[in-house]
Amino acid sequence: MKIQKLLIANRGEIALRIHRACHEMGIKTVAVHSTADSDAMHVRLADETVCIGPPPATESYLNIPNIISAAEIVHADAIHPGYGFLSENAQFAEIVESHNIVWVGPKPEHIRMMGDKIEAKRTAAKLGLPLVPGSEGAIVTVKQAHKLANEIGYPVLIKAASGGGGRGMKVVEAEEQLESLMSQAAAEARSAFGDDTVYMEKYLADPRHIEFQVFGDGKGGAIHLGERDCSLQRRHQKVLEEAPSPAIAKKDRHRMGEVVRKAMSDMGYRGAGTIEFLYENGEFYFIEMNTRLQVEHPVTEMISDIDLVREQIRVASGEGLSCTQDQVHLHGHAIECRINAEDPETFAPSPGLVKNYVAPGGMHVRVDSGLYTGYRVPPFYDSMIGKLIVYGTNRDECIMRLRRALEEFVVEGMKTTIPLHQKLVRDPEFLAGDYTIKWLEAWLERA
Amino acid sequence: MAETKEPVPRASAVDESSMRIDPSLVRELAQLLTDNELTEIEVQDGDRRIKVARELYAALPAALPPAPAAAAPPPPAAAPAAQEPAVEEVSGTTIKSPMVGTAFLSPQPEADPFVQVGDAVKAGDTLLIVEAMKVMNPITAPEGGVIKKVLVADAQPIEFDQPLVVIG
Repeated sequence: MKIQKLLIANRGEIALRIHRACHEMGIKTVAVHSTADSDAMHVRLADETVCIGPPPATESYLNIPNIISAAEIVHADAIHPGYGFLSENAQFAEIVESHNIVWVGPKPEHIRMMGDKIEAKRTAAKLGLPLVPGSEGAIVTVKQAHKLANEIGYPVLIKAASGGGGRGMKVVEAEEQLESLMSQAAAEARSAFGDDTVYMEKYLADPRHIEFQVFGDGKGGAIHLGERDCSLQRRHQKVLEEAPSPAIAKKDRHRMGEVVRKAMSDMGYRGAGTIEFLYENGEFYFIEMNTRLQVEHPVTEMISDIDLVREQIRVASGEGLSCTQDQVHLHGHAIECRINAEDPETFAPSPGLVKNYVAPGGMHVRVDSGLYTGYRVPPFYDSMIGKLIVYGTNRDECIMRLRRALEEFVVEGMKTTIPLHQKLVRDPEFLAGDYTIKWLEAWLERA
Repeated sequence: MAETKEPVPRASAVDESSMRIDPSLVRELAQLLTDNELTEIEVQDGDRRIKVARELYAALPAALPPAPAAAAPPPPAAAPAAQEPAVEEVSGTTIKSPMVGTAFLSPQPEADPFVQVGDAVKAGDTLLIVEAMKVMNPITAPEGGVIKKVLVADAQPIEFDQPLVVIG
C-alpha cells in the first residue's frame, strides 16, 4: 500500500534522516517528540508534530501507548522506529501491525528471533553462518560453565542472551573468576534487560568488527551491500566506521556477502538488517544480527549510491527492492565520524546551547545532524549530536578529504569529539588501516 | 497539537532567550497606541515585557524566561488552533493532558459537557475525558475552584502536556 503519512518514532539525527527520505518520496511526516525536543530540527520541519511525553525516554520515546495514540489521532499509515528505542521491540512491531499501520522494519518474528542472542546463534548456525565457538544455548550451572570454558579455552566471554550492542558482557580471564563473574553478569542482565539468561563464547584475542549490510523484500529476495569495518570502539560504542574494510580482500567480501545474502533469502527476511562478525586470522565469526537500520548506514549509502531509508520504506510499502544483487555496484571508500557532545579526552557529557554551528561542505562531504545555531542539546539522551561522512575514490583520498572537512567543522558552546577525530585521522596505524577492536582504547590510554 | 506547520522552517533563535512574538497582542497594542495618540506603550506581565512604539511596529524581544523543558510553548509558525498559554489573561491552574489522545467534553455524544466556564468544581470532579486507544481516561480537578477557561474542543486530538482547562 502506498504510504502517505509516516510517523517517526525517534529523535535526533535519525529522525531528521527519516524525515528527509520521506519528503523526497512525497510522504508527509509526523514527528512525535518529548517536551525536551520541541525545538528539534526534525520537529520544526515535520508536517505535523505530537508531543508524547516528558523528557525521560521511558515516558516518551519508549511510551508505546502514547506513540500508538499519536499515530491514531494523526491517521498515520506507517511508523518508522529508527534505531535504538523501540526499533528492535518485537512486541511494539506487532502492536503497530495489529493497528493496521505499516511497520517500517523486519517481520516481528525475526526481530524476536534475533533479539534473543542465543536463538540468533542457533538460527545463524542453521543458515550456515560460521559462529564464535561457545555454548550451544544458555549456561545454567557453574559446573556446565567450567566444563565448557575448559573445552573452549580461556579467556571466555559471558554474554546476556537479551543483551546486544556491546552491553551485558563479562570477560573471564581465568578459571578462578568464572563463578563470580557469571553471577555478576546474570545479575546485571536481569537488571538491565529483565532476563538473567547468559551464554558463553570464546573471547577472541584481537579481532576486527566487520558487519554486512543486508536487505530483504520479505518474499525471499535479498541483497547485500558489502561490509563496514567498525573496529574503532570505546567501551563497545563505535566511534568511527568505514566501508569497505581496509582488511577484507575482494574475494572474502564476495564470499561472505553471498553467504549472508543467501541466509536472508532463506529466512524470507524483510527490510534492512546488519549481520555482525568478529574477524580474526582471515576467519569470520557471527556474533549477532541487528534487525534495524544502523547508525553507520551512511557509509554504505556513499559507496553503493542506494538510499537505505528509502529502500526500507519501499520494501515496507510492498514495492520490493530497487535492484538485484547484480545491479549493486560498490565503489570508492567512505568514512563516518560520530560526533558526540563530550569532552574529547575525558568523554564527560557536554550538553548545552549551540552558540555557533558551521558544518563542513564541499564535494562528497555529508553531515547528518540536527544541530543549528541556537539549538539546545538536551541532557536526557545519548551524546551523539551528528555524523560526518566523507567519500573518496580510494581510502587515501577519502582520508585527505576527511581531514579537510574536520578542519572546517565548528560547534561552539559545548565540547565535542571533533578534536579526537582530528588526531585519529593522522595516526599512522589508522592510516595503514591497521587496527582491531582493542586498538582505540589502547590508543586513548597512550595519549 | 498536531499542528500543521508552514513549509518553511522559521529562522533559528540567535540568543540565549528565544524570541516569542504574539502578533495579535502587538496589533492590539498598536491599535491602543494610535487610538489614544500615544508614541509608545510598554506592557509587563511577570517576566514578559512588550513595548510597541508608533510607526515602528517592531516588538522588542520579550524577556521570556528560557523555556523550561516541560513547558515549551508551540512555535509561532504553528496553526492558529495552537494555544499560547503565555498570553492568557486568566489566572489559575492550567490542567494539562498527561497523555496523547482525543478530548471528549461530555460523557456521551449527546449529553451535556462535564463542565462549562463558570461552573464550580471540587477536587476529584471529572472535567473531561481523554480517550486513548479506546480507553476513556477521566481528567479530574486536582483542587476545587471555578472553571475559568476550557481550552479544547470536543473530539479534538490532544498531545502530552496540552493545556485543557483553567481552574481558578
